[in-house]
Order: sequence, then structure tokens, then C-alpha cells
Amino acid sequence: MTTLEHAKVEGSRPNPPKSLITKLHMGTGMIVGIIFAEAMYFWGKSMWDVEVPMEENRILTLSMFAWCIGFLIGIGAFIGPFRWLIGKDLTDEEQLFLAGKGQGVSRYFRYCTDHKVVGIQYLVGVMVMLGAGGTMAMMIRTNLITPGSKWVNAEIYNSLVGLHGITMIVAMIIVSTGPFGNFILPIMIGARDMAFPRLNALSWWLLFTAIPVLCSAWFYGGIPTGWTAYAPLSVQAGPGMNAFIVTIIIFAISSAVAGANITTTVVAMRAKGMKWNRVPIFVIGATMSVALAVPAFPTFMLSQIMAAFDRTIGTHFFDANFGGSGWLYAHLFWIMGHPEVYVILIPGVAILMEVAPVFARSPLFSYTTAVVGFAGIVGLSVLVWAHHMYISGWMPTLNGPFMVTTELISIPTGLIFLVLLGTIWRGRPWMKLPMLGVYALLWNFLIGGITGIYLSDVPADDYLHGSMFVTAHFHYTLMGAALTGAIAGLAYWFPKMTGRMLDERPGYISFWLVQIGFQVLFLGMFAAGSQGQPRRVADYEQKFAISDLISSIGAYMVGIGMIVLLYAVVHSWRKGKIAPMNPWGAKTLEWTVPYPIYLENFHEAPIVTGDFYGYGKSEK
Amino acid sequence: MSDLHDVEELAPTPGQRVKAAMAAKDVRVTIVFGIIITAFFVFIGLWFYPKFMPEVMSENMKRGKDVIVYFTVISAPIAGIVIAMALYTLFDRHKGDTPPPEAANFRGHTPIIFSWTIVSAIFCIIAIVWGLTEMNVNAEANATNAKTALTVEVTGSQWVWTFNYPELGVQSQNLNLPLDRPVIFRVTSVDVNHSFWPVQLGVKVDANDKVTTLARTTPNKLGHIEVKCAELCGLYHAYMETTGEVMAPADFNQWVTSLGGHTA
Repeated sequence: MTTLEHAKVEGSRPNPPKSLITKLHMGTGMIVGIIFAEAMYFWGKSMWDVEVPMEENRILTLSMFAWCIGFLIGIGAFIGPFRWLIGKDLTDEEQLFLAGKGQGVSRYFRYCTDHKVVGIQYLVGVMVMLGAGGTMAMMIRTNLITPGSKWVNAEIYNSLVGLHGITMIVAMIIVSTGPFGNFILPIMIGARDMAFPRLNALSWWLLFTAIPVLCSAWFYGGIPTGWTAYAPLSVQAGPGMNAFIVTIIIFAISSAVAGANITTTVVAMRAKGMKWNRVPIFVIGATMSVALAVPAFPTFMLSQIMAAFDRTIGTHFFDANFGGSGWLYAHLFWIMGHPEVYVILIPGVAILMEVAPVFARSPLFSYTTAVVGFAGIVGLSVLVWAHHMYISGWMPTLNGPFMVTTELISIPTGLIFLVLLGTIWRGRPWMKLPMLGVYALLWNFLIGGITGIYLSDVPADDYLHGSMFVTAHFHYTLMGAALTGAIAGLAYWFPKMTGRMLDERPGYISFWLVQIGFQVLFLGMFAAGSQGQPRRVADYEQKFAISDLISSIGAYMVGIGMIVLLYAVVHSWRKGKIAPMNPWGAKTLEWTVPYPIYLENFHEAPIVTGDFYGYGKSEK
Repeated sequence: MSDLHDVEELAPTPGQRVKAAMAAKDVRVTIVFGIIITAFFVFIGLWFYPKFMPEVMSENMKRGKDVIVYFTVISAPIAGIVIAMALYTLFDRHKGDTPPPEAANFRGHTPIIFSWTIVSAIFCIIAIVWGLTEMNVNAEANATNAKTALTVEVTGSQWVWTFNYPELGVQSQNLNLPLDRPVIFRVTSVDVNHSFWPVQLGVKVDANDKVTTLARTTPNKLGHIEVKCAELCGLYHAYMETTGEVMAPADFNQWVTSLGGHTA
């Protein structure tokens, strides 16, 4: 195991401090969490009647929160803050222990503050979530393989759609900024760690507590609402909905903590000489993404708190019979929902902007244009949410203005294409796995972008809204662009994160299976949507049969491709070829540190004298 | 010699720059590729979508379909240039485990960035103006048709559509409409959100509890209509569908009478 080698280099294990902290880990967290949840459950049952839906919701919601709080207490997240309350802090030895000094593998199961450990935790967590969400996608496509299929019943199908959606959305939000934003970003800017290492650990372990909560939805009858969880359907829904609500609230806190942390790190902890126009473009992209998430997610959290109140204590925020409104929910949701797609997209694109100069050996084409493109997208993205509500009837006269803001996004998006094209133009592309992602993104994001322009146009949306066309469109942007970027990032930084090269053969096989399968899958789905098949349907008419069959075949290709990728990652992590310090000949700072990376990254603080894109033959 | 030297010092005019760029082989090949790919996307727009989209039975549906077809055609050159440039770079790939030779140091090119931005802004403005114009046409048609329109009250409930014709005193589970008569759908729900979607008419509007939302259209072709629900509404969402017919006025009146209603 490479982690063991890492531990060896870190030096012999120092005497651990005599402190409660050394006794706590994931296992104690789970034990305390379960005790808290059970205690809350039995206390709740003694107070209220579990047979009454509203009181059952109350008991379950409180128990799930109790699990989260119990877990965090059990893993030692609150020891530091508690010491502050009594006017003390952790001792230096304790802090070093928390940073994982000389602990080998066990630090991955502790409340570890080392950003590199948190990055690996995120990477594994994201892969587990993508695996779960992908399995659900395969089940959805299996059920849709023929019309009238009763492979799963409508209730399970609706839950599959909803839980696939929310699992993938959560996974995609953290897929780039979690692993690479935590592991690579601080090294890239020459920092010794994140600005708030304990908050960093908190953001991961908060997310971790949400995973079993979300899984528990299956045991409480699933969620019937899709990932959008529109009220009043979500208020009417069964107890599985509590799990969704608690997951979102926890996730919103986790992403706020992570966002504040990454933003502060980039603003305050850059190496000497790293002016804003010298910051690597991935750092810019990741920072803009998390900074956009910081104002966006609270409205999602608020919408879920209100839904929880409606469900548990009988408020009427979304109940039209008592003056509430489902439109209120839709607004709160989409004020988060549209910035959120750019929270997902921008880091993926930024990774590929980092990759393209290295593998084409030419400077990033107009750094300023890239930054302006990202900034334009971020700025406009908060003004477009109601294009998801053109046909909701809430205010048809505002459809025009929202159409204008939405279509304006095509201009900064065009700049992003220009930057990528200008970078690879007249270079000799080195066709390694990361570079393949650049080409895949250009194609997928082109299709996703153009179909987005149809959907933003009101007369076309009157027809296409809520159809499979929409599903195909956003998969092209989120999966075809953002996930492609993240996988390219994995291939690119794998040597730095694991010390080994990602095995190329299975990598290429996976890339082609996934990308070709993806085209088959979603071109079939565009056809089904154009024909008029609504999305999220468990069954459909005969006339959609061919399109859906094609989609399902494509889906299986993607599924097999992803399994091959998983094999490549697991195999290479254990037995791959040992990587040199800088296998790609890249110029950013993370390639100047040897693996295993020293606990505080740099023995000597780096000094930056230029930007990192000085490729090319002649500097003028 | 000194004359020649002076000429070199002068900045080339935009015309000269374009000429110089066109002289390069990669630019010319890319342009040829771009034209081929553009033609392919034009073909997709004119052939692929019309082939798949259902029968057009109202002006609204026609406008929606036109947007999809013509936006594909308009965006074909963009797809052409992006794909052609990416494809061209693939001709000279580098293999092996060592980085390729350094390319040109090409850090940006202000005229290209500006012209790219301006061209994409023009495309964007075309899309915006097109959409706003079509919306305006819809709105004007609705205003002129308001007086003669037939009202249909559409109620969504889990998982059934009900159609009430208040002026005619008829209620039905099927959406039958007379040909060429404007119609106003007054849509509501008795439980969760649904979305009323008469597919061939090209309109759609959500059905919300305690709220009435409007959709207007004029069926202009005889034939079969499918009505679906386009908003996930719980267990049997997939089966919340019904059918209807656009009928000649005489047939419609006969249908109304057969249900015990009075013809207007």
C-alpha cells in the first residue's frame, strides 16, 4: 500500500499524546451516532405516536439529526471548540496527531486535518457515490428497455429516479472540488495546508454522515419526488422523504464550510509572488465554483427546512389550502438549482484548461479570457433561475427577461471554447488520458450548450419542458462535460495523489466505452424527447420503443466502461507503475514536490516569479 | 534595403492579416472541414428533428418546432468551427511517454478574441430576438382570439385529467376540441403539481392546487391529440395520460350533444 510507504517516510511514530483524541475514530463516531439516534428514536416514540405520519416524520427527522451530531461527537469533531469554551485549545502534540503525523492508514479513518488525507477521503467517497448513482441509472435504463416492462414497480422506479438524481448531483458537486480542491489546490498555490484544517475535516465528515442517511431512504419507502422534491408532493410523501431533507440540510452545511475554507485559502494563503494573474486556472475555477455555492446552497437548505416544518409540525409554507405556495418552493429550489449546475461545470472545465497547455505544450490561450468567461458565467448564473419555471404559470410576462439572461450565458460559454481551442491549436497533442478529456468535452459541451439554447427559448420550451430532451441536455453538460473533466483530472493527478501511474490500457478502453456509449445513450434520449416522451416515467408507449432501446444499450456501454475505469483505478492504486515526480512535464507547483508529499507540503516555501503556462518555443 | 525594412515595421492591416492566415495550410483545411461539418449539422437540423417530432396541430407547435429546426441550422457553423479546429489538431498527434516538442508560444490574440466575442454575441442576439418575436406573436394571437375562445377547465388530480367545458355544460375525460376555434385552457389541480401537456398542440402549463394557470392555442388540423403529465406527480405519473381529438365543428357539436350539453 502506498499509504504505508507514505507513513514510513513521515518518520517513526512519535509517542501519541495522552489525550481523548487519540482514542477516537470513525468506529467510535458510528457507535456514538447510533446510540444518539436510537436514544432520540425511543424518546420520540415515548412522546409521540409513530403511527401518525406527521409525528413519525418528527421522530425520524430528529433521529437522523441525532445520528449526525452523535457521529461528529464520537469522532472528536467538537473537542477543539469545546476546549475554546473553557478557554483552552488543543496542545501542539494533539494538533500534530490530528494532522496525521506518523499514523499510516489509520488517519484516513480519523478526524484528520491534513488536506491530503481529506482529499483522498473525498475521492473515495465520490467514487462510492458515483458507483451507487450509476447502479441506479443502470436499473432505470433496464426498466425502460421495453415499453410495459414491469422489472421494477412504479414506486421503486420513482425512487430510483429521485435517488439517482440526488446522489449524482451531490457527487458531481464535490467530484472536482472535493478530491482535487482539497488535495491539489493548496499545493498548487504553495500553501502548507488549507486555511482552516479542522473545518476541512468537518466538511468531509459532515458529508460522510449524510451518506447513510440518504441510503436509509430506501428502508423508509424511497422518495417519490425526483431530486427536485417539489412541494406539495414532498409534503405528502412517505417517511423516506425525511432522509432526503436531512441529507440536503447536512450537505448544505458541509458545502458552506468547504466553500468558505477553499475561498479563504486561495485569497489568503497563496505563495509569495503568486499575484492574481499568476494563479493556476484550476484554482480560479474551483474558487469561483465554491464561492458561487456559498450563496446558492442556503436557499436549498431553507427550502428543505420549510418542507421539514410542513411535514413535522404542520406549518403551511407550501400548502395552498392555507395560503402557502408550491411556487415558493420552486423559486427557492431553482435559485440554488441554476447556479448549482455551474458549481458542477466550472471546476471540470477548469481542470481541462489546466490539462490542455501541458499536453499541447503551448500556453493557455488568453488567461484573461478564461477568467472573464468563468466570471461571466458565475455572474449571469444567479439571474436565470426562473427559466426552469417558464411553464409553471407563476409570471408569464417575466419569461422574456429570463430568456434574455439565459441566452446571454452563451457568450461567456463561447469564450471558454475559444480558450480551449486556442490552446490546442497548432500544438501537437500528447494523447494521454487527460488530454482525451479535452476533446470529449469540446464535443459533449457543444451538444449540451446548443441544446441548452433551444430549451432557453420559450416557444421551444413550451414543447420540450419536462421531456426526455431536457434529461439528455443536462446529462450532456453535467456528465459529458463536468464528469469528463473530473475523470481527466483523476488521470492527470493520479501520480501525485497515489504515487503511481494510472494504467493506460484499461483507461483508454474505459474512455472509449464511456464516451461512445454516452453518445448512443443520449442521442437516443434526444430522439425520445423530440418525439414527446416525458421524463421520469416508469413506462411509455410503443412509439418510443426504438429510441429507448438505443438509450439502454448505450447506458450499458457506459456502465461497463465505468467498471473498467474502477478496475483501472483500484489496480493502479495497488500495483501501478511508480510515478516519477513530474510525469507530464507540467509547470505548476504541485509537480515540484516529491511523493510521498511532506506533511506540510514544502520544505521551503516556494516563490513564484511568473505564471505557470510558459510553454512554447520562444519567450519574447 | 531600407525601404523593405520600413515596410516590415508597419503593422499589417486586418485585410493583410486575414490574407496571411488564409495562406496557412491548417487554416484552409480547417475551413473545408468546418464547411463539411456545418453541412452535416444543417442536415441534422432539417432532417433529424422534423423526423422525430410529432404532428404539428397548432401555430404554437409550429413555432416551437421552427425554433428547434432553425436554431440547429444557425448554430451549425459554430459546431463546424469548433469541431473542425479540434479535429485538425488530431492529425499530428504525439505518442510515447515523453512530452511532445514545444509548440508556438501563442498567449492570445486580441483581434481573434474580440471577433469571436462579437460573432457569438451576434448569434446570441439572433436567438434572443427570435424568441422574443415568437413570444410576441403568441401574445398578440392570444389577445385577438380572447373573445371568441372556447374555455376548457382542465383539472389534474392524482393521476387523472378531467376536462370541463363550462360554456357547453359538458365534462369529459377526453380532450375533444373543434377545429380552428381558439381555446383557453384554465388549468388547476386538486392535489400536487401536475403539468398539462397536450403534445401535438405545443403548449404546456403547470397545474397547481388553488391556482388557475392559463394556456392558449388554436388547433388547426384534424387529428388525434395525446395529453400527458409533464411534472412528476407521484406513483402513477407515467400513466397520467389521456387522448383527445380535434374535430370538425359539426362533429364536435354532435359530441357535445351526445353528452347532454348545449352547443354554443
